Amino acid sequence: MTVMKEISEKRKRQCAKFVELSKKVVRDAFDKFGPEGIGITWTGGKDSGLTLWIIKMVCEEAKIPIPRTMIIGEGDEFEEIETFVGKMTKEWNVPLEWRRNEDVLKAANHTLNAPVKVEQLNERNQAELMRIGFMEDEFPFEAESYAGNHLMKTVVFNQWLEEYNLKAAVQGLRWDEHVSRFDDEYFEFKEAGHLIPEHTRIRPILHFTEKDLWDSYAAFGIPYCVLYEQGYRSLGAKTTTSKESDIPAWEQDLENTEERALRRQDKEEAMSRLRMLGYM
Amino acid sequence: MKNVILITIDCCRQDVFKCYGSQFELTPFMDSLENKCTTFTKAHSVGPYTKAAFPGLLASSYSMEYGWKDNCAKEWVLVSEVLSKNDIATAGFHSNPYLSGYFGWNRGWFVFMDSMKDKVTPEYPYLKGDIINKRVEKWIKFHAGSSNYKPFFLWVHYMDIHEPYVPKQEFLDADDPSLQLNEEQMFDLYKNVLLKRDTSNPETVLLLKKLYQAHAKETDRYVEQLFGILRELELQDDTVVIITSDHGDEFGEHGSLSHDSTMYSELVHVPLMVYEPDREGSNICSSLVSTVDVPPTIAKLFGVNPSENWKGQPLLPVEEYRIGGVFGEAPEKKGDKPPETIQEVHYYREGDLKMIYHEKKDSWELYDIAKDPGESRNIVADSGDAERMKEQILPRFQRSNR
Repeated sequence: MTVMKEISEKRKRQCAKFVELSKKVVRDAFDKFGPEGIGITWTGGKDSGLTLWIIKMVCEEAKIPIPRTMIIGEGDEFEEIETFVGKMTKEWNVPLEWRRNEDVLKAANHTLNAPVKVEQLNERNQAELMRIGFMEDEFPFEAESYAGNHLMKTVVFNQWLEEYNLKAAVQGLRWDEHVSRFDDEYFEFKEAGHLIPEHTRIRPILHFTEKDLWDSYAAFGIPYCVLYEQGYRSLGAKTTTSKESDIPAWEQDLENTEERALRRQDKEEAMSRLRMLGYM
Repeated sequence: MKNVILITIDCCRQDVFKCYGSQFELTPFMDSLENKCTTFTKAHSVGPYTKAAFPGLLASSYSMEYGWKDNCAKEWVLVSEVLSKNDIATAGFHSNPYLSGYFGWNRGWFVFMDSMKDKVTPEYPYLKGDIINKRVEKWIKFHAGSSNYKPFFLWVHYMDIHEPYVPKQEFLDADDPSLQLNEEQMFDLYKNVLLKRDTSNPETVLLLKKLYQAHAKETDRYVEQLFGILRELELQDDTVVIITSDHGDEFGEHGSLSHDSTMYSELVHVPLMVYEPDREGSNICSSLVSTVDVPPTIAKLFGVNPSENWKGQPLLPVEEYRIGGVFGEAPEKKGDKPPETIQEVHYYREGDLKMIYHEKKDSWELYDIAKDPGESRNIVADSGDAERMKEQILPRFQRSNR
């Protein structure tokens, strides 16, 4: 389904300019790294969805297939996302792979909130926890916990880069999407680190605001997941994503309300700073 | 319509500035703005620490107006919310966790950078002013260059004066032998003296103050940098800048250090200067004013109606400012431990008299600030004004419970 909303011709032209700028970033990326050297991250959400749609356009124009694409299976997905992704993969001919941290899933017995004992994990996962300074013996199996997030997402991402020897990864991030995103560049080089392969992150849609994004969906008839119609503004793991409203995302007051629901990582960051300031 | 920048400097005492009496030349750049500034010599904060002070600075309210909350109370109407609803671009750049998005202070901002994802160190558990300025510069360039340009309200908060006072050599007085300390020694002072609020050695307290002053010099540099950014982007003639702080810091004036919940002038007297590019000649205003007046001032500069929830009034033009008393309040706090139950502290100042109430000790203190600026002689038992002053505070005590 597509966003039902009136978009003026002027606004449509403006959105087309934003899309054109993103396409340029994508073409630059293909020039720099070659389509073989690039991987696309997809979440089924609105941001990576717009990014993928733009990449698809560039590929059609260049008559090349879409580069390899990956979705992270956190073990806590919305069924609606799975359905939507399945459908779009076929329609757009996306070479998609679902990737998961099987070791963690096994240790948690595929049960949400189950405690995962660090000593049961494989060497790579244990080394990763040490790298981020996680000192405890166990953590709850949910992607929004500090340790959980790192293992279920970051490690899976790094391992994917290593397996296919990817030089660059595409992400659907936007400047106005979250606090402190504003520093991000279209191309950000990440040095090789312990357990992290050297790679460049590419963010073709940085300059889209949330409103620009939804107006583009409406103007160009881009498909999206039905959950946004039900009031969700931002989709993370199913059990920790909440919605403040029941009206479609694009009808909500985008400029004056918060997009991303508070996540546990935000709390840990704030608390850690308070401790350092000597307050706790 | 001009842009407005609100610069808030954490922990900045009033007496850091020459125009407020400093002999130390700590802030040469900010002092140089004097001829285009309205300087409020009797500006007060609504609270003695950040969390209690910012409800005034950004929401024209008080920290316990709706009951003390961990988060930014939903009843507070932030100046960013009012402005963004009126088509003004709003952006905030800071690194104080109490004001982070996690605690709900990101309402109404087009861009809100609370820096919580940045890596910091124990010596500088915040972002330094030059990093903040880099981000500000990027945003202003992006915004000013966009086809979507609207007048902007920018809030920048500098944390460089905040403890643990570990200033770089270049800001320390090279001639002072007591300041030949390395980073580790300065950090030890923070851990062993400041965190313990230990004022037993006056020389150590003086040393801490000198380290503090070095940071003030550093901050002056960052404000200068910010003005430089405006100049380069040719915005200096189009931007009003308000410079103030949330509270000061103690150096043994009343037996303590850092900033807890006493309401003495070393904490609640704050600098407040309004720089206007079109102003000719300095304007010194000695009316009693409060940081609760900052949001209405900003709204008025943009020609926008204030929120009905706001408790303050516009500072400018000074001739129209209705002079009255000023209030401040906060839960009692000591050192680094959060209180288990809320016990309130209040102050009320009217003219030269200031009344302070501590629920914890059930104590009343009354000072004549003109005759006793150090607030050392409590005249509550002798003064004929005591009852009248108490009557101002009593209705505010536990008012959210009613």
